Amino acid sequence: MAFGVSRHSVAGMIGTFAFFAAWEALSRSGLVNNVMLPAPSTIVQSAWALIVTGELPSHLGASLLRATIGFLSGSVLGVALGVVMARLPLLHGTINPLVQMFRAVPSLAFVPLAIFWFGIGEMSKIVLIAWGVFFPVWVNTYIGVRDVSPLLGRAAASLGARGWRNFAYVVIPGALPFIIAGLRVSLSVALVVLVAAELAGAAFGVGYLIQMSQQVFRVDQMFVGLIVLGAMGFAADLLFERAVRRLLPWYGAEQAGQNVPQIERASGRRITK
Amino acid sequence: MNARVEISSQTDVGEPLITCIELGHVYDSGRGRTTALGSVSLTIGRGEFVCVLGPSGCGKTTLLNILAGFVLPAKGVVRVGGHAINGPSSERGVVFQDYSLFPWLTARANVEFGLRMAGRAARERVKIAHDLLGLVDLPDVGEKYPFELSGGMKQRVAIARALATRPSLLLMDEPFAALDAMTRGSLQAKLVEIHRQEQPTILFVTHNIAEALVLASRLIVMSPNPGRIVEDISVDLPRPRRRTAPRFNELYEHVSRAIGLETAE
Repeated sequence: MAFGVSRHSVAGMIGTFAFFAAWEALSRSGLVNNVMLPAPSTIVQSAWALIVTGELPSHLGASLLRATIGFLSGSVLGVALGVVMARLPLLHGTINPLVQMFRAVPSLAFVPLAIFWFGIGEMSKIVLIAWGVFFPVWVNTYIGVRDVSPLLGRAAASLGARGWRNFAYVVIPGALPFIIAGLRVSLSVALVVLVAAELAGAAFGVGYLIQMSQQVFRVDQMFVGLIVLGAMGFAADLLFERAVRRLLPWYGAEQAGQNVPQIERASGRRITK
Repeated sequence: MNARVEISSQTDVGEPLITCIELGHVYDSGRGRTTALGSVSLTIGRGEFVCVLGPSGCGKTTLLNILAGFVLPAKGVVRVGGHAINGPSSERGVVFQDYSLFPWLTARANVEFGLRMAGRAARERVKIAHDLLGLVDLPDVGEKYPFELSGGMKQRVAIARALATRPSLLLMDEPFAALDAMTRGSLQAKLVEIHRQEQPTILFVTHNIAEALVLASRLIVMSPNPGRIVEDISVDLPRPRRRTAPRFNELYEHVSRAIGLETAE
């Protein structure tokens, strides 16, 4: 409680410190093979070595670029098709069985096929990530646009909103809470697919770093890769949350009242203040 | 330009603003057909403040929805300002019970919404919104979002929003029903003041007798099965109205009997 720090966060710090101290002690004790379980201090040294040689930044850069391009293209396609299908029931009827069929297949199962088709270069990664990202975004956009509040629709109509103006000023903003929820889920999907694709075959990337380190028995470098991936996921979620709060100040507060589906979040964090 | 709501005067002065002739509507539901409106004929003149009162199922909301253009009547004729209704229009402003402000817009942007849809210039919109927020006693909440406002404030913003396009008719569907008694009282007073200043034609649906008697210049009492008008009363109470006045209580008793209530609610 002292210094304005809550008891829980003090307990959290003590717990975390104890965990790493025990780990350090265990791997130095000789009870376990310290090649299989390198000490945290060794991992930090390896990380530093990978950073100064420029190896880690180039792997990270490659992974970030793939994840970003894949996430953006999958999101754009998901939003576009979700909107179009919600507005055109006939189109929805035509392609919905297909989309549902593809959605049912776990996107990781497409990794070998994508590598076969698109090679181990950038294309296969980007296509796989876009594929994985597409479905949650598509589902949420579709539901959000389809279920836009009829009351707000009436209010808008009585204020003269028709056609594209109604669409741009009422339907899309009304669907935004759903679209955002879909994008947030997709953020973690993108990371999962990225790593799977890089493990399966790549010449660069954090997943590739882990894969290569395994083949040369560098468990310390594998841990570096894991930490970098954890940091990527955490940072992506945090940035997303900040961006949403800044761009859509009403979103968090309205969430409680609007029955946004409580889809599993990328992390346990909530946007609500 | 000020926030005054103009009564559009393209039609003859003598002609009523609203004409309903043998208006009927039936809802089909899974359990059968409900006659929401039997055969309702009604005329309302410009500048009248009409309260439509009745128990649930009497068709008062159906009547409002038909006038708003949300529902097309199954039979009969309805004309507003000499024109048949073929859908919602900014000529007929609507205030809903549950506020229905756009949560993604600030209070000011909500008020500007109808003007934006009409393609009005930004400077003009800002001016009108500013004036209207002043009219509803909320000059300083323009940049706040609906979630930051109380229920009463939201409803004031909703009234300002409905007035922004200068509709010839203001339709209000139990707008104060969800508010606490004190807030409701102050909004009723505000609405009476707005009507006195701006002279819009108002059709106000409520199931609260006292509210109707405080507000209306004319009271239409409806009854269910089938929905129909059972009384059409000119409310001659002087303003400001006092709920303790003998004439107020007389009318209250009269209306209670008309809608089939033995005692006061």
